[in-house]
Amino acid sequence: MLVTGIKSKPVYAPLQADTRGRYHLMLGMGVGAAPLLRVIAEMRGAAAQSLKNTVVLFVPDAAGAADAGAAAGLEQFRAAGVGGAQSYSTTAALLTEFRNILASSLMGTRLYVAGPESFIGLAMKIALEFNLNKDEIRAEECGTLARRVYCIHCRATTENVRTNIVRCVGCERWLLVRDHYSRRLAAYMGVMVDAEAPGELPPIKEVFL
Amino acid sequence: MSDAQTLAVEVVGIEQVTPLIKHFKLAPVGGGDLPAFSGGSHIIVVMQGDRVHKNPYSLLSAPHELQTYEIGVRRMEESRGGSHYMHDAVVVGSRLEIAHPVNLFGLDKIARKHVLIAGGIGITPFLAQLEDLHGGGVPYELHYSVRSPEHAAFLGRLRAREGERLHMYYDSEAQSIPFESMLASQPLGTHVYVCGPAGMIKHVIATAQACGWPDSHIHWEQFSAPPVGDAFEVFLARSNLKVHVPPDQSLLESIEAAGVEVQYLCRGGVCGFCHTRVLELDGELIHNDHFLSDADKAKGKSIMPCVSRAHGRRLVLDL
Repeated sequence: MLVTGIKSKPVYAPLQADTRGRYHLMLGMGVGAAPLLRVIAEMRGAAAQSLKNTVVLFVPDAAGAADAGAAAGLEQFRAAGVGGAQSYSTTAALLTEFRNILASSLMGTRLYVAGPESFIGLAMKIALEFNLNKDEIRAEECGTLARRVYCIHCRATTENVRTNIVRCVGCERWLLVRDHYSRRLAAYMGVMVDAEAPGELPPIKEVFL
Repeated sequence: MSDAQTLAVEVVGIEQVTPLIKHFKLAPVGGGDLPAFSGGSHIIVVMQGDRVHKNPYSLLSAPHELQTYEIGVRRMEESRGGSHYMHDAVVVGSRLEIAHPVNLFGLDKIARKHVLIAGGIGITPFLAQLEDLHGGGVPYELHYSVRSPEHAAFLGRLRAREGERLHMYYDSEAQSIPFESMLASQPLGTHVYVCGPAGMIKHVIATAQACGWPDSHIHWEQFSAPPVGDAFEVFLARSNLKVHVPPDQSLLESIEAAGVEVQYLCRGGVCGFCHTRVLELDGELIHNDHFLSDADKAKGKSIMPCVSRAHGRRLVLDL
């Protein structure tokens, strides 16, 4: 039902330091702290200058800012000797600062993003506005697979979707969540599932955990 | 591209713009409009001299102006004859064949800024691109380096139009483009484009990379003239033909002269269309193209016959 093999579904790879870049901007959410710390450790060994030119923006899991692991993560960034590290209480606040930083960044900047796919997608959407290309961005997916789903009928976006079929927050249609992904919208496409036979829904299952 | 697809044009204007560069205006024979193109495109000009020359030249006229195409031709000291033919034999009223425009050097459509770097005759593709950039919302700057003021082709029109966006550098006054500081201070989303002598292109690529630029933001174009070399023999396996390649003829030209058609677009080692598989080799390939990676060149399994040659006892191609 999900229609697999769709090419627009993003593919991620484990983060690696790209020391050809002059400046390094890292965004992390929740358990995304671990991959970022791994990259920082990589830099500490090989490229001390890269470490100084590294800035980390971090937001704890959506689950809660009190997450002990997340707080420890921020302390670890600071202890690791990066040029700067800052924590934000919401993804929106982090993304606002991310946009401000990009507006004054120079060519030679590399972006690293680690966290759930929906977080990566929102960061990528902004990076795209600044014409960052694939060879300037690295992203590692970790944490929940919950999706942002864009309703192709009413254009509302439903957040944190864990099921194959979801009721749209905008028009309340039942949407089939496809693998068809839009980088510009940072969302998967949702298409009305019972248009042919109103009310006849396939079984709803939790698939994006 | 094959000769069947060429267009007949007539030379309707020639101007000597610098001691070495002539500016040609070409109009379609029989009137009408020429095919549309985008800034950065080149055409292949087919010249029927004592032998046939097919040289790539960038279109420098405005992309929205299709009654004529304009090209700039620099007289090359070590020419195999093409640029000398254009300079010495072509007059107003001469007929030439040209291939449809192809763009291997287009502007990035979603760039946030463009930095254009031209050395000498390398200004030509930028003249057409500037027509697209001028008056648009995307910031840009042009850095133009020439030997001395008398060699600054098209400077009048650039000065009038570009104002402070134009930065001139004269070797004769010991001025040089500050590549390092310029490339180290560009905002995110900038693309750099360079067209000029091989040394300048190499330097810009290396400097941009050293400043942390990713390859996707670095663009360059340099058409190589097929270098002269030792004569050699080539065997075309599918055609079952043995072909002799004389010193001053390229492998591609020799294959074409034997009646075998090879796909091509640029004839200058850039586009990759004439990529040909090497089936057997006893000797070495002399790669002169900018298309194959160093690793592929080392493998010796393929060759770009437009500019590359071979040396040795036996070369068999999949043609």
